[in-house]
Amino acid sequence: MAATPMPLEARNIKKRFGDTEVLKGLSLQAHKGDVITLIGASGSGKSTFLRCMNLLEQPDEGDLLMHGEEIRFKQTRRGREPADWKQVVRMRAKLSMVFQSFNLWAHMTLLENIIEAPIHVLGKPKKEALEHAHALLERVGLTARANAYPAQMSGGQQQRGAIARALAMDPEVMLFDEPTSALDPELVGDVLKVMHGLADEGRTMIVVTHEMGFARDVSSQVIYLHQGVIEEAGPPQEILTNPSSPRLQQFLAPKY
Amino acid sequence: MLDLQGYGPRLIEGAGVTLSLALLSLLLAIVLGLLTASAKMSRSWLLHKFATLYTTVIRGVPDLVLMMLLFFGGQMALNVATDALYDRFGVDWYVNLNAFAAGVITIGFIFGAYMGETFRGAFLAVDEGQIEAGRAYGMSDWLVFRRIRFPLMMRHALPGLSNNWMVLLKTTALVSVIGLSDMVRVAAEASRATHEPFVFLIPVALIYLAIASVSELIFARLQKRYNVGFGGH
Amino acid sequence: MELTTWFTDLLDGNLIFTPQTLGYYWDGLVTTSQLVFLSLLAGLVLAVPLAIGRSSRHRWISLPIYVYTYVFRGTPLLIQLYIIYYGVVFVDGIQESIFWPLLREAFYPALIAFTLNTAAYTTEIFRGAIKATSRGEIEAARAYGMSQSLMMRRIILPSAFRRALPAYGNEVIFMLHASAIASVVTLMDLTGAARFVYARFYAPFEAFLFVAAIYLCLTFAILYFFRFLEKRLLAHLKPA
Repeated sequence: MAATPMPLEARNIKKRFGDTEVLKGLSLQAHKGDVITLIGASGSGKSTFLRCMNLLEQPDEGDLLMHGEEIRFKQTRRGREPADWKQVVRMRAKLSMVFQSFNLWAHMTLLENIIEAPIHVLGKPKKEALEHAHALLERVGLTARANAYPAQMSGGQQQRGAIARALAMDPEVMLFDEPTSALDPELVGDVLKVMHGLADEGRTMIVVTHEMGFARDVSSQVIYLHQGVIEEAGPPQEILTNPSSPRLQQFLAPKY
Repeated sequence: MLDLQGYGPRLIEGAGVTLSLALLSLLLAIVLGLLTASAKMSRSWLLHKFATLYTTVIRGVPDLVLMMLLFFGGQMALNVATDALYDRFGVDWYVNLNAFAAGVITIGFIFGAYMGETFRGAFLAVDEGQIEAGRAYGMSDWLVFRRIRFPLMMRHALPGLSNNWMVLLKTTALVSVIGLSDMVRVAAEASRATHEPFVFLIPVALIYLAIASVSELIFARLQKRYNVGFGGH
Repeated sequence: MELTTWFTDLLDGNLIFTPQTLGYYWDGLVTTSQLVFLSLLAGLVLAVPLAIGRSSRHRWISLPIYVYTYVFRGTPLLIQLYIIYYGVVFVDGIQESIFWPLLREAFYPALIAFTLNTAAYTTEIFRGAIKATSRGEIEAARAYGMSQSLMMRRIILPSAFRRALPAYGNEVIFMLHASAIASVVTLMDLTGAARFVYARFYAPFEAFLFVAAIYLCLTFAILYFFRFLEKRLLAHLKPA
């Protein structure tokens, strides 16, 4: 299968939790350099959709493709599962994720967090991983905190550290799951600045967020989800300034 | 069929000894535990130090050593005391510290220290606002304790209480060493006499497991009762 | 001054704490330390794989381990010791095996009983710690492409061991105290030495208070050792 310029594609993803269908057939194409933001009210399925893309949740139906290579599934007693976990592990190593609650490993220093997966998953030599890590720490402005443990850092520092950890994997696509939602308002700016920089250098990113400013200024495409369905999608200047769906109009309207 | 070679009745008697020893010790431990907890929370410096010394020493020394100290040493101390009574006042009074009493006192004394910690933690976990609410409605101190503080405290104390009881139950096996005919001693004697250790020791182990399982059920029910209104599952 | 004369008088007048009896206590200390240290070590080695198995989703792995820990935690150690001590003779072929000279002595049956007992408790301590691993940290490990075994080795176990430290410290103290029952099967451990001195001089207070003081010192030593370890290894959980 020839490598296509499309690092990640999701086709017709469906997911149900018990009796509720949370994703009703969602598709997405991330081309190289795309910044796709997923917006929508809580419960619209945007985070679940993101988590399906690296199989932290197993989609009940639909396909995932990386560079045109399809992830294979099989049907088991517990439901649909990946047929080849090695393939999944390989895929995940190329998609790094930044979480809402940072999820830094608490028993490791920030530096150890950053070099952990490159060394043990990608098999990088330690020296190389350390050099890369120091460069990334400088980039996110945390050189001074390299030897701090996560519990000793502020939320904003932890999230910037988590972004450095994600970058250390040299990911082809970065997934952001509400990266600023758990932060105090005054700390959001630093994290958004780092993300802005990543978009500028042409990283492929898929971002679930409530930050409309970020969606407007940075994304190449905005997808608005409502109850597990893509209600509207398009370039930000079109759909954020001139939404056609009444639901999106209401969603974007000032809340006060 | 299991052939107990005539030891059956004695084993059953032994099980009775184990159970009554455990229950009486538990009672003593709860009383001592409540006293220790109040001493630790009291404003009196002396009481506080004394309670701390008690819990520290008890938790630093093996149960078996404490038991022997009390059983062998206690008898000697009693003898000295009763001899003195006779010499000075001509009172002829002899107390024989039997193994059962020594067992209840030592085990109760040991677990009183553990219970003290459990109760202290539980009392501290009670929301003071609810106590104040009781006072504000004109309840007396005793009424506040009985109707509000104690039930709220029990919710926090039960897991520790249950845990202490399980350990206490197993500790009763040690009294066989100081000569009390609980089921462990009977089983050990029978094993030596008949050279069939498994026939006697395994059923005794199963009885312990059975008591533990029944206790778990009882504590689960109690926990459910005291968890009312806290969304416990 | 008065105190020192009082003290030398006491030493001169005492018939119990002679070099000979102190020698018994010393031998007892050595036996107790060997028993406790070796059984804790072997128990720890057994407990790690058992705890991983106990946390398994497959019931045919976790259930037998649960039965083992339930039985060993639910019955008195003394019973376990008796079963092994009196029962070992009846294992088929054991008397012809090369292990017999070892097993005939009380030390090894006691060591086996203590090991199996502490392994059961330690397994449950570790299982609790493994279960308490933050879901987010596990998700992060998965999202970064870690396999199940790599995640267990690098993320779950290192953080679980640290979390288990306080409970494990209690288990070490518990084992030290529990080892006193070795004296019941004729072993001359610390308690055994005290019983011997008691029987010989009929001096319960001297014999048992002295040994109680030794246990108390050992308990405090263990306590402070674990506090020191916790301070070093759990520093990462405290905010700066």
